[in-house]
Amino acid sequence: MMELPAETYFEAASDSVKALVGQGFEGVYISFQRPFANVQSLFKQQGIDTNKFFIVDVATAFAQEEHKKHERCVHISPAIDIDELVRAIYTSMDKIKSKKKFIFIDSLTTVSLYKPLSEVLRFCEFLTRIVRNHKLEGVTLIFNVAKDLAQKRFIKDIALNVDEVVSR
Amino acid sequence: MAKNESSIDTKKLAKEFNNLGEGAIVLIETSAEKILEVHLTAVKWLSDKKYTQIVLSTSRPCKNLLDLYKKNNIDTSKIIILCTVCQEKEKNKQENSKVIHISSCASLTEISLSLSKGMESIKDKKFIFIDSINTMLIHNEPKMLARFIHSILTKMRTNNVSGLLISLEVDTDKEVRAEIAQLCDKIIKV
Repeated sequence: MMELPAETYFEAASDSVKALVGQGFEGVYISFQRPFANVQSLFKQQGIDTNKFFIVDVATAFAQEEHKKHERCVHISPAIDIDELVRAIYTSMDKIKSKKKFIFIDSLTTVSLYKPLSEVLRFCEFLTRIVRNHKLEGVTLIFNVAKDLAQKRFIKDIALNVDEVVSR
Repeated sequence: MAKNESSIDTKKLAKEFNNLGEGAIVLIETSAEKILEVHLTAVKWLSDKKYTQIVLSTSRPCKNLLDLYKKNNIDTSKIIILCTVCQEKEKNKQENSKVIHISSCASLTEISLSLSKGMESIKDKKFIFIDSINTMLIHNEPKMLARFIHSILTKMRTNNVSGLLISLEVDTDKEVRAEIAQLCDKIIKV
């Protein structure tokens, strides 16, 4: 779990993605905060190779905006069912060729604005379990949270199950 | 703008604005003494840069804002005010100018629809200005407000609209502040 300063949140998150891609990782970036085009354009500005990962665009579904098709973007229906989200991650991971893979959750608190905490916990628990049980092999799972929100009870519950909490 | 002890460095603020990329969303944190001056400086800068602005006003009635804009030589021809303050009372008087009345700043759906309509109808480069987070927090549950802000910012980003949110540095609920700050591209403390 990464605890990031709220003031430079996206910048800090993109530093992590840049480092992962630089080390040969490929994966799935789950964007609860920002729509696909915005994330992709900012990553490109920072010199990140956006062909190394898929972006699951949940933000657009939250805002009930229209999706634009792109080969690197995975859409979610506005109902934002957690099972559908997990399926989307699974399907995208299947397309990754690299042995070093990542699943990057941009913000745990943003999803909790829209979904009940029980669902958010179920989502995190499920991802942690499949990564731990090697159902998805060679995967690094990264949850991100704003430092000032890390003391929330449900975040502490999730933090209990991760291998490392890194504060930036 | 009237100068007093709490005056802000307008040049510095303008420089910060000049450095923003197209479509950037900024949170300005300031004090109660400076909030009006920050508002006027921002609106003037945007007006000078020929942006069409949608100003969501939650603390001052539209008539008062328009008077202040005129006093500060701000061109109001490209400003649309979403006024949540004067409600129906002045509806008839204001409908001819670019003012849209919202029943209250607790009517988040109404605000969201008006902002979406505004974003769609304006073809020029546009800017959404929300003043202020703190007043909205008086009328809305923190979680609902954070969710509303997230939804609006996503719509803005989808439509490549820039934005400015103002909040009081010391008075904002710590969690809401963090929730909103992490969604913005830049935080400016004035």
